Amino acid sequence: MTTYRIGIDVGGTFTDCVLKRPDGSLLLEKAPTTPLDQSDGVMAGLEQLAAAEDMSLRDLLTGTLTIVHGTTTGDNTMIQMTGAPTGLLVTRGFRDEIEFRRCYKEDIWDPTLPAPEPIARRRVRLEIDERMTAEGEIDTPLDEEGVRKAVARLRAFGVTSIAVAFLHSYLNPRHERRARELILAEYPDVEMVSLSHEVHPKPPEFERTSTTLVNAYVGPPIARYLRRLTERLADNGYAHELLVATSAGGVATADAAARRAVATLGSGPTGGVSAAARHAAAAGLGDVVSVDMGGTSYDLCLIRDGRPDVKMDWNWFQRYCVGIPMVDIPSVGAGGGSIIWQEQGVLHVGPQSAQSTPGPVCYGRGGLEPTITDADLVLGRLDPAGFHGGRMELDVAGARAALADLGGRVGLDAEQVATAAVRLVDAHMTDAIRRVLSLAGADPRRFDLVAFGGMGGVHAATQARALGMKRVLIPRAAAGFSALGLLAADHVIDGSRGYLSPTAQADRGHLAELAADLEGSARAELRIANVPDERVRLEWSLLLVYPGQTFDTSIPVADPCEVEAAVAEFHRRNAEARLIEARAQEPLLRGIRLTAVGEVDRPADPELPESGVVGPVGHRRIWAGERWHDRVPVYAMESLMSGFVIDGPAAIGGTFTTVILAPGDRARPTPTGDLLIEVAG
Amino acid sequence: MTVQVSSPVDVVTATVIRSAMETICFEMATYVSRTATTPILNQSNERNATILDATGRLAALSVGIPQFMLSSTLPVRFAADFFAGDLHPGDVLIANDPYHGGGHLPDVNVFAPVFDAEGTLVLFASIQCHHGDTGGAMAGGYNVFAKDIWSEGVRYPVLKLVDRGVERKDVVLMMRANNRLPGFIGDLRSQVGAAQLGARRLTEIIEDYGAGTVRAAVEWSIGDATRRFSAEIAAWPDGVYEADVYVDSDPAGNTDIHVHVAITVEGDRLIIDFEGSDTRPHITAWSTFGNTRGNVIAQLASLVDPSIPKNEGFFHCIDLRVPPGCCLNPPEGKPVSSGTHHPGVEVGDAIALAMSQIIPDRCCPQSYKFGSPRQMWGDADPRTGVAFFDHGGEVSAGWVSAAKGTDGWGALSASNGNLIKASAEINEQLFPHILRGRNYLTDSGGPGRWRGGCGSHFVKEVRTPTRVNQYIVNQRHTHPGIAGGHDGTPDRCTVGTVEVSPAVSGVLLQTGERLDYRFGGGGGWGDPLLRDPQAVLDDVWDEYVSVEGARRDYGVVITGSLAEMTLALDLEATEQERKARR
Repeated sequence: MTTYRIGIDVGGTFTDCVLKRPDGSLLLEKAPTTPLDQSDGVMAGLEQLAAAEDMSLRDLLTGTLTIVHGTTTGDNTMIQMTGAPTGLLVTRGFRDEIEFRRCYKEDIWDPTLPAPEPIARRRVRLEIDERMTAEGEIDTPLDEEGVRKAVARLRAFGVTSIAVAFLHSYLNPRHERRARELILAEYPDVEMVSLSHEVHPKPPEFERTSTTLVNAYVGPPIARYLRRLTERLADNGYAHELLVATSAGGVATADAAARRAVATLGSGPTGGVSAAARHAAAAGLGDVVSVDMGGTSYDLCLIRDGRPDVKMDWNWFQRYCVGIPMVDIPSVGAGGGSIIWQEQGVLHVGPQSAQSTPGPVCYGRGGLEPTITDADLVLGRLDPAGFHGGRMELDVAGARAALADLGGRVGLDAEQVATAAVRLVDAHMTDAIRRVLSLAGADPRRFDLVAFGGMGGVHAATQARALGMKRVLIPRAAAGFSALGLLAADHVIDGSRGYLSPTAQADRGHLAELAADLEGSARAELRIANVPDERVRLEWSLLLVYPGQTFDTSIPVADPCEVEAAVAEFHRRNAEARLIEARAQEPLLRGIRLTAVGEVDRPADPELPESGVVGPVGHRRIWAGERWHDRVPVYAMESLMSGFVIDGPAAIGGTFTTVILAPGDRARPTPTGDLLIEVAG
Repeated sequence: MTVQVSSPVDVVTATVIRSAMETICFEMATYVSRTATTPILNQSNERNATILDATGRLAALSVGIPQFMLSSTLPVRFAADFFAGDLHPGDVLIANDPYHGGGHLPDVNVFAPVFDAEGTLVLFASIQCHHGDTGGAMAGGYNVFAKDIWSEGVRYPVLKLVDRGVERKDVVLMMRANNRLPGFIGDLRSQVGAAQLGARRLTEIIEDYGAGTVRAAVEWSIGDATRRFSAEIAAWPDGVYEADVYVDSDPAGNTDIHVHVAITVEGDRLIIDFEGSDTRPHITAWSTFGNTRGNVIAQLASLVDPSIPKNEGFFHCIDLRVPPGCCLNPPEGKPVSSGTHHPGVEVGDAIALAMSQIIPDRCCPQSYKFGSPRQMWGDADPRTGVAFFDHGGEVSAGWVSAAKGTDGWGALSASNGNLIKASAEINEQLFPHILRGRNYLTDSGGPGRWRGGCGSHFVKEVRTPTRVNQYIVNQRHTHPGIAGGHDGTPDRCTVGTVEVSPAVSGVLLQTGERLDYRFGGGGGWGDPLLRDPQAVLDDVWDEYVSVEGARRDYGVVITGSLAEMTLALDLEATEQERKARR
């Protein structure tokens, strides 16, 4: 029986479907994304794959072992604020944490910035008499009658999804659990009940409340969507679990994803990041920064020791705090579609984008404002005839006219505007990389760059040079990279339990109990996903802080009871990173965390044969390395085989991507066909 | 040597350099977040990174708190003069003295000069952070009962902490000896590391572009802010606009501390004159010149396009006159712990009120009415037996003004939006108390066409005998409304059975007793009788406003009951009610 693997990544414009055949070879198809019900686009993409393989959809799906799906249903729900009517039950006195936001506001200079659109207005945030102490002991017993009345009231307000966030429930969940029983008894057809100690079992209250509320809000639409897609796939012969990408960079079963829907938010770019990590390792690179430069945004991620950086607690998503672990992929509004404009004689680039419609001027779809794509085109860095594999002719004259028109207002000609705009966008992007690295306390010169997305290869070498990076990797499958990456993602079950104690007094027995509890539920989850026990890897950490610190640090330990080792490592990390005298303070234990990784099968990528000399397919005048070069050779990416070396200035054109080399840059294909550039100093 | 930024291509280079400088500020601030251990530094973002030119003019800044970012220039300027000709590559300096450019003692500036290859001073990289202790008579760096600056703590007008790359151990020892906190020197070194990082990165930029181009870029950036800010001023009607604002009382009980401002708009320039402000020599509420200046600029920055770069250009458009000896420019030696905040932030209120006469649409006071940090301490946490000291850094809501088109929202004004405040769950672990609640208070937001944000009812119950210091303001002179909007409600605080007015020191709470603090609301914007009745009804559904409040404050008649879920607007009665009031 054939065993295909399929990755499906829903983007803003296209739904990318990648089919991996048993021999490791790939097929990419793109179908238009269908925002109202993304499963239509998914099914259309699958039909295209089947047609390209010359099979029926049923035969394809019957022969498919795994489908991994990245969905933006939750993201769109948050962007459009179209989630379930949601209510919130809280401890008496703590009705307004979600509005206080620990005082955080997004713009300190703008008093007119409006409040975020509420998920649950104050009228459906109801207080319950109950209280746990910071030791997890009952201070005020749960007012069960109060819960019943509150639920009746929420129901009368039309609420269909209820979040419960009681203080210190991460230490003692008894009241939250009892509240769920009461809710279900009072309101049996409630769509969803989200308990804070299950969604994000950690202090402090704001982060946990917000995360739980978001889960309650996006949960019902995501559950409905996944149910519909699962049924459509099953109806067409798919017999295995649908796997869904999560924000932690892993996958979960559709069922698990629906229950903890918040964990699918922001999962879109994680596929590309997983793929970048894998391709960087295959090319022999060390720590890398991955950058995805598409039309509207520039997404960055640090990958250290082969793993994308994951952030928890203070994550902000569409103006709500989502505290669960998320692959940290900051995004800046800069890409090929970024609009070039001027104000009082000063040129600016972005963050406004021409999007895919109308798009850059050179697309000829009615775009009037010049963009970075137009600038790159006028600078010879894009092939007007070869864009999107020649499916799209670019209008050079139109781009030039738009740039000249703008230039007329600031005293520049079209090419000067283009070079200025490219310098500006490269500066934005290198600054963005510097900021990300500084947050991690890392030196850019110790990193390599992995660049993908349609425009990544055009700008990557320049950016690497500005940052003092030595090497850039451009994956051959730069388009569809995210969908491909989904196939490489492992199952990741991330769980934590709160346990507050001075480290010296930490009760090993209690830690062992919590660990057994975490391990049990993670293994159960992975068994549902058909991951055999021997392919499960457990990664433990203890959460530590110095007294007075708010955000804790996750310290990896081999065994969850190794408190001393964690304390020593915590001191060491602080001493190393902080220039600080050894701490006299004893750290506090805040909790225990388990990341259970279920490894998926990954067929190896086929190696390309070595080749001899490949000739250029043409020549163009190109601006690279801050100046013009006449008659620069242009190579076809697909024809390059390993062993061949290209010295800049040069251009390398692929179906959906272009690579520009400046003088001194040297590129060679890796054995699996990616392009590795050594950047001139 | 100066290169003129004459062509638009040079402007591109200048914007690239400006953007790089803003990134360097971010890197410095982040460095402190990562490396300091004092929570206020590493998590609440009270750290302000700036880059200044050789004469101490502000070139770029990063995240932080507007008032303080903008006040960090004068200590550097003093140091540049004091050490003129004696600054060298590798030097790192520190300063905290309110009477040499600073705001108050806990705010410690650490800065490093940056030179070009010829050894000419080009820039300074500076990072200012708030520290948890300053020495002096009281732990915590906030002795609002001090009668002079010396009882507040130790003044460091300027010291070389690192001399040509070598840390001065004599200076470190002296500073360590004058501070209660074991982490003080570690946190200072975190700042030193940040300043050195900033200096290193700026040196790279000078190497890449040349000192002349970097200077020209700074000049252009300051000019750009000047042009854009002055263009806004030029659109304002010429004239003189005055306002008076009062602080209820200083901690010693001297009442009605007076701030008077007269703002003259003259073409594209402003004269801001505080003549007429309080000059009583015996008060204990003093805002230093640097602090006053920072508050002036912070409020002005909130009145204009938020995208104008924040640099020296703002100061260029203003003739700031603060008479020596008044409460906003004290004679050397006066205490400043309470005055940094009050009357410091009332400077912002006064400017917003004065400017609301001509540009009400832009005016929203960016102030707060904190009084002083609440301090609660005891000999033994019953859970550990260890003494405890709670600086009262938890979230509470209050004094958020409405702006035109936006009701006051959240917990504090936008200018405090980088202060990530402490939580109940974590603080209950650290200190022996239980927080009984901090909900919004119904009817506390100042009525207006756009409503002021509600204050909150903060109740903390102690689990062991605990002593309390608290100074409060905003009882009689409350947070101001704008353009016909009403003021917010007053603050009220009781510690056990003791009513605080204006201050208590060392009051003992027995186990089970409570501190009960009703924080006042923010000021409203515009005539409340013009508020959309539907918005008032929504506020009643959400209990920001009561049914009675809707009628009393907004002239909106609502029938039915919230409990029964039968609320409805009586539009006819509302119209009559509103007509009768006009």
